[in-house]
Amino acid sequence: MSEQRFVQVEVVRYLPENKTPEKDEPFSQFFEVPYTESTSILDALQYIKEELDSSLSFRWSCRMAICGSCGFMVNGTPKLGCKDFLRNYPNGVRIAPLAHFTVERDLMVNMEEFLVHLEAVQPFLVEEQQAKAQGVQKYTETYQQTPAQLAKYKQFSNCINCGLCYAACPQFGLNPEFIGPGALALAHRYNLDSRDHGKAQRMKVLNGHNGVWSCTFVGFCSDVCPKKVDPAAAVNQGKVESAKSMLIQMFKGNS
Amino acid sequence: MAYKAPMKRSWWLQHAAFRRYMLREATVLPLVFALCCLLAGLWSLQTSAQFHAWQQFMAQPWVVAFNLLALVGALYHALTFFQLFPRVMPIRLGEKQVPAALMVVAQWLGVVAVLLAMLWLATSGVLGAWQ
Ligand code: SF4
Ligand code: FES
Repeated sequence: MSEQRFVQVEVVRYLPENKTPEKDEPFSQFFEVPYTESTSILDALQYIKEELDSSLSFRWSCRMAICGSCGFMVNGTPKLGCKDFLRNYPNGVRIAPLAHFTVERDLMVNMEEFLVHLEAVQPFLVEEQQAKAQGVQKYTETYQQTPAQLAKYKQFSNCINCGLCYAACPQFGLNPEFIGPGALALAHRYNLDSRDHGKAQRMKVLNGHNGVWSCTFVGFCSDVCPKKVDPAAAVNQGKVESAKSMLIQMFKGNS
Repeated sequence: MAYKAPMKRSWWLQHAAFRRYMLREATVLPLVFALCCLLAGLWSLQTSAQFHAWQQFMAQPWVVAFNLLALVGALYHALTFFQLFPRVMPIRLGEKQVPAALMVVAQWLGVVAVLLAMLWLATSGVLGAWQ
């Protein structure tokens, strides 16, 4: 058995019902939490909810870094609560809701702000949709893809929509209309897919005011991504594609 | 019914990753200075008196210091740029990707090649013969 120690956990909370005309702000609450080598940030929050204060709200589901619902700011850096451990913070830790999002309650943010951008880039195989619309049965056929075709986009397909990259992106913080790293990475993932036919539609979004050119390659999104998607690389490869498509448009004379 | 934290003007001071990013972007300031020095040098070629004045200006310790800072800044910016380049323009050969480290080394070799070429131009007397 590993020995049990205690660490101070600061949780930034927000309770909308406590709102007064003068004050509508988050506040900090401090807890002493026991931990071992294997206590995750999420375990700590669950300990607090079960043993110390049952009014604490936060999201989680899989506890194995695949559902993407337990994103928090841990000492100022976006992390998955189930993939980060108290042992990394022997001098205390501060858990806050994901930055740049609207806080609904305690550690729960409004993920809708990310999902609308995700929807805007049509993160799915577009031909399938078209085929359905035209009543063609093509989508029931098996798609074939060579390993080389798969390798092109595989890295960018590992996204779990956790939103950590949005909490790491100052451009999204400054301009919430910016499509943002995660959605742009998925747009790139489908643009690179040999089975897809939706690139022309996606490029309209990527070329636009809130598309790839709003990115200044801060690069922090790629540092915090728990799935090593490297969204910054995807966005900047998107800039190359965007430049190409805009040049082509120019020569066609319908810019 | 919801709280949105304002984005402070000092956001870039809040995290080491942002401070590094701002340092990278700030390298442009001493570079602009070095560029102005060069342009002034070109312009001063009109008369020998002007060229002389420019040489004296350039020899001042603070000008030398700023130009050194520009050199360090340029090297730091190159370092970050060369590391980002393989991620923006990956070279793919079939299923395999050319390793990023190889592309970084190739870019530095390019820098060395250009430096050597300049050195050769300056020392070989080719420019003098051309006059
Ligand atoms: S790109 Fe990475 S950090 Fe961003 S939403 Fe997807 S998995 Fe999360
Ligand atoms: S609980 Fe699913 S990613 Fe953490």
